[in-house]
Amino acid sequence: MTGYSVVGKGLPRIDGPEKVTGKAIFTVDVDLPGMLYGKILRSPHPHAKILNINTEAAERLPGVKAVLTGHDVADVRYAFVDTPRYPADEQPLAVDKVRYIGDEVAVVAAVSEAIAEEALSLIKVEYEILPAVFTPEEAIRPDAPLLHESQFTGTSAWEEWGAAKRVKDYRSESSLNNLSGRTFVAFGDVEQGFREADHVREDKFQTAATAHCAMEPHGAVASYEPVTGKLHLWLSTMGIFLKRYNLSRALKLPISRVRVRHSYVGGAFGGKIDVFPYEFCAAYLSMKLGRPVKIELDREEVFTTTRQRHPITIHIKTGVKKDGTIVAQDVKVIADNGGYRGSGPIVVFLCHGFSFPVYKVPNYRYEGLAVYTNNPIRGPQRGHGAPQIRYAIDSQLDLIARDLGLDPVAVLLKNIRHKGDVLPNGDRLNSCGLQECIEGTAAGINWSSKRWQFAAAQPLGRFRRGVGISLCAMFSGAMYYPFASAAMVKLHDDGSATLYTGTQEMGQGSYTTLAQVLAEELGIGLEDVRVVAGDTELTPVDLGSFLSGGALVTGNAVKLAAADARRQLLECAAEILGVGMEQLATRGKKVFVREDPQRSISFAQAIQASVFKRNGNPIIGTGSYKGYPETNRYPSLAKGKGLFTSAYGFAAQAAEVEVDTVTGRVRLLNAVTYHDCGFPLNKTIVEGQVQGCVSMGAGQALSEEIVLEKGQLFNPSFLTYRLPLAPDTPESLDKTANTLEPNGPFGAKEVGEGSVAGMLGAVANAVHDAIGVRINSLPITPEKVLRALEQKQKAVR
Amino acid sequence: MKRIITLVVNGEQREVAVEPDLTLLEVLREDLGLTGTKKACNQGECGACTVLLDGKPVSSCLVLAVRAHGKAVVTVEGLAENGRLHPLQEAFVTYGAVQCGFCTPGVLLVAKALLDTNPHPTAQEIEQAIAGNICRCTGYVKIIEAITAVAQNQNI
Repeated sequence: MTGYSVVGKGLPRIDGPEKVTGKAIFTVDVDLPGMLYGKILRSPHPHAKILNINTEAAERLPGVKAVLTGHDVADVRYAFVDTPRYPADEQPLAVDKVRYIGDEVAVVAAVSEAIAEEALSLIKVEYEILPAVFTPEEAIRPDAPLLHESQFTGTSAWEEWGAAKRVKDYRSESSLNNLSGRTFVAFGDVEQGFREADHVREDKFQTAATAHCAMEPHGAVASYEPVTGKLHLWLSTMGIFLKRYNLSRALKLPISRVRVRHSYVGGAFGGKIDVFPYEFCAAYLSMKLGRPVKIELDREEVFTTTRQRHPITIHIKTGVKKDGTIVAQDVKVIADNGGYRGSGPIVVFLCHGFSFPVYKVPNYRYEGLAVYTNNPIRGPQRGHGAPQIRYAIDSQLDLIARDLGLDPVAVLLKNIRHKGDVLPNGDRLNSCGLQECIEGTAAGINWSSKRWQFAAAQPLGRFRRGVGISLCAMFSGAMYYPFASAAMVKLHDDGSATLYTGTQEMGQGSYTTLAQVLAEELGIGLEDVRVVAGDTELTPVDLGSFLSGGALVTGNAVKLAAADARRQLLECAAEILGVGMEQLATRGKKVFVREDPQRSISFAQAIQASVFKRNGNPIIGTGSYKGYPETNRYPSLAKGKGLFTSAYGFAAQAAEVEVDTVTGRVRLLNAVTYHDCGFPLNKTIVEGQVQGCVSMGAGQALSEEIVLEKGQLFNPSFLTYRLPLAPDTPESLDKTANTLEPNGPFGAKEVGEGSVAGMLGAVANAVHDAIGVRINSLPITPEKVLRALEQKQKAVR
Repeated sequence: MKRIITLVVNGEQREVAVEPDLTLLEVLREDLGLTGTKKACNQGECGACTVLLDGKPVSSCLVLAVRAHGKAVVTVEGLAENGRLHPLQEAFVTYGAVQCGFCTPGVLLVAKALLDTNPHPTAQEIEQAIAGNICRCTGYVKIIEAITAVAQNQNI
């Protein structure tokens, strides 16, 4: 349809053979001579003062090389959010207080994991237990104990990146205790909007904390060379340059002395972008001891201490006209970010950021609060705010449609945004396939014949089926360090090319899609491209594989680098053929004169000629790209102003469920997704991203939930934390909308995150359709279904 | 006290001195350098460490190395022969059944054990066979497609 020969095709991944043969090296596979092993002692209390730590016995244990406590590194601060308004609140090891069960207290390096483990049991910590809070509602009360009494006053990362100094403490803006972040956005006149509405509805929804469950446990290997002063790191990461920045700063090493080296990442889903204490500790210990140090977390530590999705309570009041047109919406969200800020201020910003691109709401007010509690820390997770807010808003819209006797699909179509719309912050939708996505999804799930809402009466009987639909939006990269991506393309004597990119391959297929972009732009085959990536020393800077910027931001950098290489190649060919560059065309790795195709030279000849005739000058193309060039328009987390992203990905998703009214069990039978990712660079990889999102979304809708009791995690294992298994796989239809994003390479934009978000609302709405009752909290467990059915029966009687 | 055990790993006899509490997973990864077998939960719940022990899939994190003495072990490194990928490996690449690749070795070995005993399984039998292998990336769709393709001897 496009005339492209490499992009758009479902070509096999270039990292596939390494991965199916067991040759792919992940961080946990790295083994260096003389390597020591680190283990971390963690707090057993949700909130306590550290009175004393005695490490003598541990240090005396044969095989122990070092024991560190908070006092050794008391001046170190870092955090995923480190802005003038929200300065870093994390330390690698607790200094005076612990704030959640799992908080890092001490670390041991020893010659074996077993000895390190034994040494932990010899460390004596005296705690004074403090009162703790476990819900945001408790935590904001005036009499609640404070988790963080003071704010760090040093320079924040964002000040180093050019943000203005802090003017005042954000906590003076509110009387609420334990606030870790607040976003407030309003436009139009929301009260006037409600007065103009024909129907107003208020609802409250609650989402659960969920785990990323990347199969590779988090790990770090650090190897410091004392003579050269260089630190080598192998990390579980999603962004090597952000990790390098944060770790070099925390370790007080010049940035060029820190090298993050290539290893494959075994899944991340948002959970491997924060800087973690185990990474800092491995590096610090290696620097102290002059030997390589490896720290690998066990699965319980991964569940407990490497971030979870924020559980969020969402209040929504929406006013609509009789035909379902939204006239006003007032949204209040309160997110539990645990003992440290994690990504609290970001998630409450993103709950707005992923809500307002979907529907036109003329009068709108949004307030998001992120709150400290003595629960585990919450951070980014696939969709980051989108699953929570999309679930709530689309659940309520489904209820509104029912109230008014309208078809929810018609209500969605009436309210969605379209291509060309300018959002209230100034972002322009240069592509938007929402309408096509909704229509395709509704057709794909057989909406009009399967939606029980339209039937005169629901069938009785044990198994009941229903369908539901929901939408989502997602950025294609946003402004975060290092704010841009660069790429290099080196051409070889045989006409092939090597791509140098800082992207991190974590399963999303970036090596393959970026190689396809290069191949297409340069005019070679995918088999002619090799990729050097994931190494801060060998590759130019990269935004990283988070915020879904891989295709658009890194993709554009690669496309520009390939275009630069191609220009140089044609220049050289033009010289040799004795014609102007504008007279040349390329096909099949040959450059020829358009008017006289017999006059041609191969890419290989032109590249060789460049080396021979130009004093060894090889052809190296470079390219760089930044999402938004206007540096003064970074988004404000607090006010939601500034530009957010240069392209939004969208999706519509529908679910058909079957509810067993005897056991309460819900089965997802069918899942249909139409994702508007612009041009799909690799069809198979795009489908794989969507299918992974659908599975994760279905799991989080129906079974996944971090269970906490007074801050203690009760299900830190795959046996007790129930994520989808192969037999849970629904019939699925995964399609893409036929759009092109003008800002994207070949028209591509986000695909890896959005489709997790629509599944939650689609499933919740389908369950309602099936049993006629609404369940306002996730996950929709058998217990909740049975309770809802019971209450419904009581109400009938 | 260490004991000497003999394993036939991917067709080659190997002798290893092991502590009695060492698992087969640890011996494979740490003593024999076969890091293709992955440790993801270390408690027998995810299937990432699956190897074939005398042809049957086992979670190698739950098998004491001394119990494997004298037995044949096949790991992911033993699937390809003379540099030629096994049809399942080929299909996993072609069908996009691999994303991050961390669960892949375990799934491949379970699939091999399935097809060795049941060459033409139904989709349901495939789903049941890999029910003990957690994959967070793919939603299983393309894994099932890849195994089905091999079972049906489709051209890959």
